[in-house]
Amino acid sequence: MDYIFDHISSNKSLKFIDVKTNSIYKLNELLLPTEELALKGRQLIFLYLSTSLESVAVYLSFLASKHPVVLLNNGIGAILKQNLEKEYKPSIIYDVNRNEIINYSLKEIKNKAINISVFINDNSSILVHETIRLLLSTSGTTGSPKLVKLSEHNILQNALSICDYLPINKKDIVPLNLPLNYSYGLSVLHSNAIKGGTIVCGLPDILTKDFWRCLDVYKFTSIAGVPFIYEMLNRIGFLKKHYPSLKYISQAGGNLSENIKMQFIDYCRENNIEFFVMYGQTEATARISYVPSDRLVEKVKSIGIPINNGKMIIDAETEELLYSGPNVFGGYAKKKEDLKFWETINPLKTGDLAFKDEDGFYHIKGRLKRMVKVFGNRVNLDEIEALLKSSLDMSLLACTGINDKFILVAHCEDALNESQLKKTIFETYKIQGPAIKFKRFDKLPKTKNEKIDYKKIAEEYLEN
Amino acid sequence: MDNNNQLKHVFSSILEIDASLINDDLKYQENPSWDSINHMFLISEIENVFDIEIDADDILEMKSFYHTKEVLSKYNLDFNL
Repeated sequence: MDYIFDHISSNKSLKFIDVKTNSIYKLNELLLPTEELALKGRQLIFLYLSTSLESVAVYLSFLASKHPVVLLNNGIGAILKQNLEKEYKPSIIYDVNRNEIINYSLKEIKNKAINISVFINDNSSILVHETIRLLLSTSGTTGSPKLVKLSEHNILQNALSICDYLPINKKDIVPLNLPLNYSYGLSVLHSNAIKGGTIVCGLPDILTKDFWRCLDVYKFTSIAGVPFIYEMLNRIGFLKKHYPSLKYISQAGGNLSENIKMQFIDYCRENNIEFFVMYGQTEATARISYVPSDRLVEKVKSIGIPINNGKMIIDAETEELLYSGPNVFGGYAKKKEDLKFWETINPLKTGDLAFKDEDGFYHIKGRLKRMVKVFGNRVNLDEIEALLKSSLDMSLLACTGINDKFILVAHCEDALNESQLKKTIFETYKIQGPAIKFKRFDKLPKTKNEKIDYKKIAEEYLEN
Repeated sequence: MDNNNQLKHVFSSILEIDASLINDDLKYQENPSWDSINHMFLISEIENVFDIEIDADDILEMKSFYHTKEVLSKYNLDFNL
């Protein structure tokens, strides 16, 4: 058995910088003695993480153990956290945002550099299939109990495939600017921990001056971003400035609009920066495909070619993009009983409709299910529609996506409490209020088969 | 509506919080709904409402309600600071 942690610990150039204290640590200085927790067998671990040095240290320490670990965002609300814990009954919880958790006692673990506390419940013992190593949520901040089951093999192989095409080397200084509970953010940590040099932890938000000061001070060699980050970078004048330390930038997590993508392509060419546009899903641990940076100009609309050891196929009948490779997950868990099983999934059905061009590059042309990605959050429109219908007790309502930017709620009410609806959607799906638009129809447009005509709804909205 | 109230109204509608809770101490990232996404929505709504174009460098300066007023004062908007 090949373990990702062994690959990480054999990277002798690996260092971690904590921005908050401006200190540098080697991997062995970060590792916490998790064996002192005296856990019997394999126990389920919940980690609520940020990108702080402590979060990275706690994660890597449990990665060095053989316990199955669930990674969650420490910013999710207390009630959502309690619901998740009630469902999965973890033995260990790491959460710096809470002082106490009912039925758990606090236990300190420390090394010379770091001192943390975890919540422990000795009576809890959930059976987890031996292949399951890591569990990630697909939604990020909504606290949904739906988790993606990943194996040691999944995470190692995906990290190695990423190392194969990204120009990661020992001199790199990479900022952790994406959450670690997000598969893309975690893949930045994994691939750089295996093959990179310095990893920068505890950074301030990218929309603060301090972040950009850190880029100058520490001389970041790369930045990873979802489409929204690129839109933001464009707006805050990134393209008008020069960052001599930057060697490459990467983009994943949805489709970046072509106009902005072109501006970044031009900028990168002028500034000798490589630009990697990539595609993937948490169900594939993170990465499925990438566009080689020297082909980006001619393949600006493409999601690229499969990563090393991965295979992409188009379903002849449905045109759905199918993927197989060593990074395909072992099914979803929605409740603790699901942790007993590991399913072999081959191929992974991506839910995206695609075609392959004459050069072997893949292109997305639509989605099989009614899914939209709003600021990196993948949401099922049918689910939102059902939520709104039940909370409003009304049937004449339809939700559709507008250019992967907005969700349009079409309705026939004269007086709709839009503010209340926005609140409901924000609380459940963490979709920001301004990303939700409303349009009143006298009658919702229908297709010939008497089904809601979502295309027509979107067209009518865009016409106005 | 004076500029102060108009700005409060923008914050209240974008962040979905009651206008009475908006004061000078309201800070970016400290209030859970004032995240980076809503920050960008705030910028474009402020541009619409006050009919100005906010300079790229100023976006990072608007880190609290007070700082936002300070920045907007540069665009000939008076907030009685």
